[in-house]
Amino acid sequence: MEKQNIIDLKNISMSFDGEKVLKDINLYVKENEFLTLLGPSGCGKTTTLRIIGGFESPTEGKVIFDGKDITDVPPYERQINTVFQKYALFPHLNVYDNIAFGLKIKKTPKDVIKEKVEEMLRLVNLQGYEKRSIEQLSGGQQQRIAIARALVNEPKVLLLDEPLGALDLKLRKEMQIELKSMQKRVGITFIYVTHDQEEALTMSDTVVVMDKGRIQQIGTPIDIYNEPKNSFVADFIGESNIIDGIMHEDYIVEFSGKVFQCVDKGFQKEEDVEVVIRPEDIEIVASNDGILKGVVNSVTFKGVHYEMFVKSDDYEWMIHSTIMKDVGSEIGMTIKPENLHIMKKVKSDEI
Amino acid sequence: MKFKRYSIPYSLWLLVFIVIPLVLVVYYAFTTGDSQDFSTFQFNMENFKRFFTHIYTSVLLRSVNLALVSTVLCLLLGYPIAFIISKEKEKTRNILILFFVIPMWMNFLLRTYAWLALLGKNGIINIIITKLGFQPLDLLYNDSAVLLGMVYNFLPFMVLPIYSVLVKLDPKLVEAAEDLGANRIITFLKVIFPLSLPGVITGISMVFIPAVSTFVISSLLGGNKSNLIGNLIEQQFRYTGDWHFGSAMSIILMIFILLTMIFSYKFDKEKEGDGGGLW
Repeated sequence: MEKQNIIDLKNISMSFDGEKVLKDINLYVKENEFLTLLGPSGCGKTTTLRIIGGFESPTEGKVIFDGKDITDVPPYERQINTVFQKYALFPHLNVYDNIAFGLKIKKTPKDVIKEKVEEMLRLVNLQGYEKRSIEQLSGGQQQRIAIARALVNEPKVLLLDEPLGALDLKLRKEMQIELKSMQKRVGITFIYVTHDQEEALTMSDTVVVMDKGRIQQIGTPIDIYNEPKNSFVADFIGESNIIDGIMHEDYIVEFSGKVFQCVDKGFQKEEDVEVVIRPEDIEIVASNDGILKGVVNSVTFKGVHYEMFVKSDDYEWMIHSTIMKDVGSEIGMTIKPENLHIMKKVKSDEI
Repeated sequence: MKFKRYSIPYSLWLLVFIVIPLVLVVYYAFTTGDSQDFSTFQFNMENFKRFFTHIYTSVLLRSVNLALVSTVLCLLLGYPIAFIISKEKEKTRNILILFFVIPMWMNFLLRTYAWLALLGKNGIINIIITKLGFQPLDLLYNDSAVLLGMVYNFLPFMVLPIYSVLVKLDPKLVEAAEDLGANRIITFLKVIFPLSLPGVITGISMVFIPAVSTFVISSLLGGNKSNLIGNLIEQQFRYTGDWHFGSAMSIILMIFILLTMIFSYKFDKEKEGDGGGLW
């Protein structure tokens, strides 16, 4: 059965003091989906989340929730809960009362509240913390309480605004996995905001890449990584070599003074394009066997691979490879046709 | 330890202007005799006995009562003012708060005298009332006039501490409450008000203490009918010349204020919140 759209954003635009921060956002979120809004700071991802949460009203457009227009419904009447960036736990209440806050407002019977709070504390692995005050908790624990406080209300959609931003790297990785498994267990829609592309790729079913108030690309993590739609996405997601080229005809592209086979078509003849090549897609061969030649400028050990910068006539290539070449040595490079990603040139103001 | 010697002037100040006078007040309170002649002093509890067996206790109660009423009025007026101002944009906020502070730059006596001109038998308000064809009213020299003077003079001391706590309140906490289903009223009762309690407690102390010990407002606006504990103490020192009894009454008032401070501090601790008090 086709999953239903739980949230539909229709032509959402938003201005603050005459400045447009969101431009014609169209987005749908399916039930039980883990969707991530990804982009650099100031791209409009948090504003989008706040519009879904009801904390901002869009200047134009509609928010549809479960088939109903909720654009003008205040946050306290939406079946949506939020995990705030810095948790926003109530400092005057202990852990139990923080989690019970929403249930008490709904006049849930006391014994039911107790049961549900305990269940939530089990879910976030903090049993026995009921009586603790918020200040006694570490960042990671506050994080979990914030999640518990939101989830206990059984929302249809959970919004998470960079919830892992304040945690250290190791804890962040643990929480990523935990959040993902939590989402599967409770089976509700998560809408997650982050500027961390790795986080987005690790956790999401769908990634929405945003920049300058516009959606740049929507797709699965694999799509976004392998088939970036434009050079912004390619550059933002993972690392890339981006080089100007000319599309001579379908499947034939020229850059760096060489003609390459590729798998892209549908461009005009002799159209100026940008070619995106992932650093791990450049193969190192003997200098005479390569289409491109270059001299290794620097080598950095990165754990799984080496990161090398190789200077050719007109470009410095970033290469990730398990083979190490010495600095100063001349190497050849080849690239498989399917690893060349051809993008239309976009004028910067269109982004 | 090299800073120790820099504290000497301050310690000296404390000793000369706070510790010694306090000791003297206590000494006078527990003795009787001719105030000008040390050789006549005798240790006893007469002053306190006199206070608790005479009408003085009723004056104390009346003072406390008036101070409490004026504190409550200041709170009822001041909280909404502080709340509304804290919601404004930063520029507007600063201007509005300035309006509350500016009158405090003017002399306290002057401001209280101004009420005489407004409320007197031939004051501006009565002139307007008689012009309209009504009988002039007795606006001065009663408890209401004293209350008005207290609320007028002490309101900024309620508004400022509450405002400074509210303005620091994290707006995300309000959003979190709304997110969890609380409408505006519940958000106020469950989140905003409890978190602003440190400011409220500070405001209450800053209004109650000067209100309970004032004698200027009551003698100017209350006339002879409205004696407060502050007036009694003033009279002992200025007219009667019984420094012993005056000191005893001061001590009793101090203890009373101390008790209210402890009470509000305890209350604050129990309901501890963000923001912190101002003292």
